[in-house]
This record gives sequence, structure tokens and C-alpha cells, in this order.
Amino acid sequence: MGKARISGFQLYMLLTGFLFGSTVILAPALGAKNDAWIAIIIGGTCGALLMLVYAGIALLNPSKTLVEILREKMGKVLGNIVGVLYIWFFIHLASLVLRDFGEFICTVTFPETPMTVLIVIFALGVIYGVNGGVEVMGRLSELLVPVIPAFVLIISVSLITTNDLTAFLPVLENGMGPVLNAAYNYVTFPFGETVAFLMLFPYLNMKEKLKKIVLVSAVTMTIINIIIFFRDISVLGSDLMSRATFVPHLTSLLFPGINVDPLLDINLMIGGGAKIGVCIYAASKAVSQVAGIDDYTRITRAVGAFCIVLSIWDFDNILGLFSWTEKIWPYYVIPFQIIFPLVLLILSIVKRNRPSEESAEDG
Amino acid sequence: MVNSIMLIILTAIVILILYDMRMFIRNKEPARVYALYFFFMGSSLAVSLLLAAGKRPVAPSRIIEAIVKMIGIVE
Repeated sequence: MGKARISGFQLYMLLTGFLFGSTVILAPALGAKNDAWIAIIIGGTCGALLMLVYAGIALLNPSKTLVEILREKMGKVLGNIVGVLYIWFFIHLASLVLRDFGEFICTVTFPETPMTVLIVIFALGVIYGVNGGVEVMGRLSELLVPVIPAFVLIISVSLITTNDLTAFLPVLENGMGPVLNAAYNYVTFPFGETVAFLMLFPYLNMKEKLKKIVLVSAVTMTIINIIIFFRDISVLGSDLMSRATFVPHLTSLLFPGINVDPLLDINLMIGGGAKIGVCIYAASKAVSQVAGIDDYTRITRAVGAFCIVLSIWDFDNILGLFSWTEKIWPYYVIPFQIIFPLVLLILSIVKRNRPSEESAEDG
Repeated sequence: MVNSIMLIILTAIVILILYDMRMFIRNKEPARVYALYFFFMGSSLAVSLLLAAGKRPVAPSRIIEAIVKMIGIVE
């Protein structure tokens, strides 16, 4: 473990930026249509609990990253195998966010520019930041992430005259089924993805604040998503909202007089940048720990290049990407976001209690 | 369109490799660094070449989808 340290506020900002990620452009929990606000509340609560599980694992294994914890609790061979699976998961997640970014910018902002060029330029910037280390990522988040809620607020307030405040009614028109389904999807995207932070939590300078930081960032994310949902549905209506590809973009176009869409682009660059950065960092760090390399920056560019190629290779078009993330993603992530972390938490609790029991027997 | 664009990625990868090799040789990095580096860069290059040639390999997302369907979680 190096001497790099990040403050509680920096981790909070990095977590919040990560959670925003692609949700800046893709309204979450839309499967529940006009009951999405209920799904966001339920999903946000469950997501916060899931993040507390990750924080619990980090607190029970202080100064250890996910790979080190896996190797200690599951044994070297099984730990390394699961570690390699996590490396894949982080790389895949980074590539999906890169593709989201590319598709959005290519569709909305720069329709004449090839998506690949946009992805390559953006990824190179992020890789440069990741090579700077955890402290650089923390400071960048501290500086840039506060912009996201500010811009969300600007767009929301500016549209206050063009809305229908009853658009979210009737409540639970289709029952609880779609709401619970959307809530589960909201837990897996974005809350469960914060499992990548198990590679970063050891660098927090004040460990006792970890649970509070995790909880506050989950609450911040949930509140802002509820604001975004009510803004979007009151402006667009339930039907148009469920059919739109990039809902916040469509909403921002309704700003009278000037185009505020670049604010959304900036939010995506910050949120997406934080998320891709954390994923590439987590993947590179995990690779270096599994292989026994001292410095993860030696392979950051190689991992980043693979993420770029994977983002283009994985899907033919945007519809394929959306269909896959809607149907397959919530089930594909179950082992990475729920099963392995729960196993690690149980093993950490059991192994922590064992020495004290043995010493009690000796006494 | 995709083919010509993939050439941009190929060029970027080659530039990155040349830049990193200079650094690796100067710092006398161990063999495992080279092995891992070329694993990722080699995979990227191979896939890029196939995409540039218009022969898209089976995407990992399709393999994951097939596994999830095989388990029976999704129909």
C-alpha cells in the first residue's frame, strides 16, 4: 500500500460523481414509468444498504484492497480466480460507460464526428488522470463534481414555467411489480457498481467516516435523481419519457431561448469521467496485484486501450447496447455486486471473531 | 466507416506501445509487466484489426447473454 491518501470529502465527491456516471443522460428506473419516483426511493434505500455492505467489508479489512481481501479470505488460488473475474467486470463496466458517452455525444452534440474518435480522445484524458493516482482523482472530483448538481438545478429551475405537476399521477397504476423490478435495476445500476470502490476505500485517511460518506453519497444521489425524475416527467409526460432515448437531453431542449444542452454534456464528461476513471484504476490496480507488479501505472494505458476497443466491439448499435443493459445486465452483475461481497462480508466477520474465541478458550 | 475509424484506434495503440516500450526498457521492467502489457495491447490490436477488416468477432456481451440464457434466468 502506497502513501497516497484521499480525504473524506474527496471520496464523497468521487463516489457521487461515480454514481451520477451515465445516469446523467439515461434516466434510471424508467421501467416503472410514472411510478419511477417510488422505484428510486426503494432502490436508493436498498442501494445504500448494499454500499454499506461494501463499506463493512472495507472496515473489517482495513488497508486491504478487494484483491487482497479475496486472496486472504478465499485462499490464493480461488481469490486470484475471483480477482480476475472482477478485473473483467471493471473493464467491461468502463467500456459500457465509454460507449454510453460516445453514443450520446455522437448522437446529440457532434453528429458529424465519428464515435470512435470521441471515445479515444475522452479515454486518453481519463487514463492520464488515472495515471496521476488516487489523490489526483480525488482532487479532480473535489473540483468538478459539485458542478453536476448545480447544472441539474439550473436546468430544473429554468423549466419551472413549462410543466404539469400532476404528470406523475395516478400512483401505482400498474401495481408494485414494475416498481420493484425498476427498483432492482436501480440498485444494480448505479449503486452496485460501487463495488469498484473496494479498490479505493483503503486510501481514505479517516476510516471511521467511511459508512457516513457512503450513506450521504447514496442519499445525495437518490434525492437528485428524484428531482431529475419530477423535472423530466412534469415537462415531458410519462408517455414521451418512456419512449425517449436520452430523456434529460430532451428536457434540456425545452429551455426557452438558448440551448442548455452543453450543460448536460459537461455533467456527462464529469460523471462519466469519474466512473470510467475509477473502473480503469480498479482494473489496473487489480491486475497489478494479481500479477504481483509494484506499479499499476505500467499497465493503465494497456487496460485503457482494451476498454476503448471493447466499447466499440461489444455492440453493433445503441439499440443493442440499451437492450442488453436492460435485459441482461441486472442478472449478469448478481455475482459481482451481491454474492461475492456478501460471501466476503460473512468470511470477514467469521475470521474476525475466530481469534477472540480461541483466546477465550485458552483463557 | 467503421473500418477507416478502427485504423485511428490502431494508430493510437501503436503510438502508445512505442511510448511505453521506451519507458519499460529505460526502467528495466520485469518480464511479467511485458507479458501483461502485450496481453492487453495484443488483444486490442487483434480485435481492432478484425473490426477494421469488417470481420467482427463474437462480442463478449453476446457470450454473457448466452450464458445467462443457458442458466435460465432470462428467456
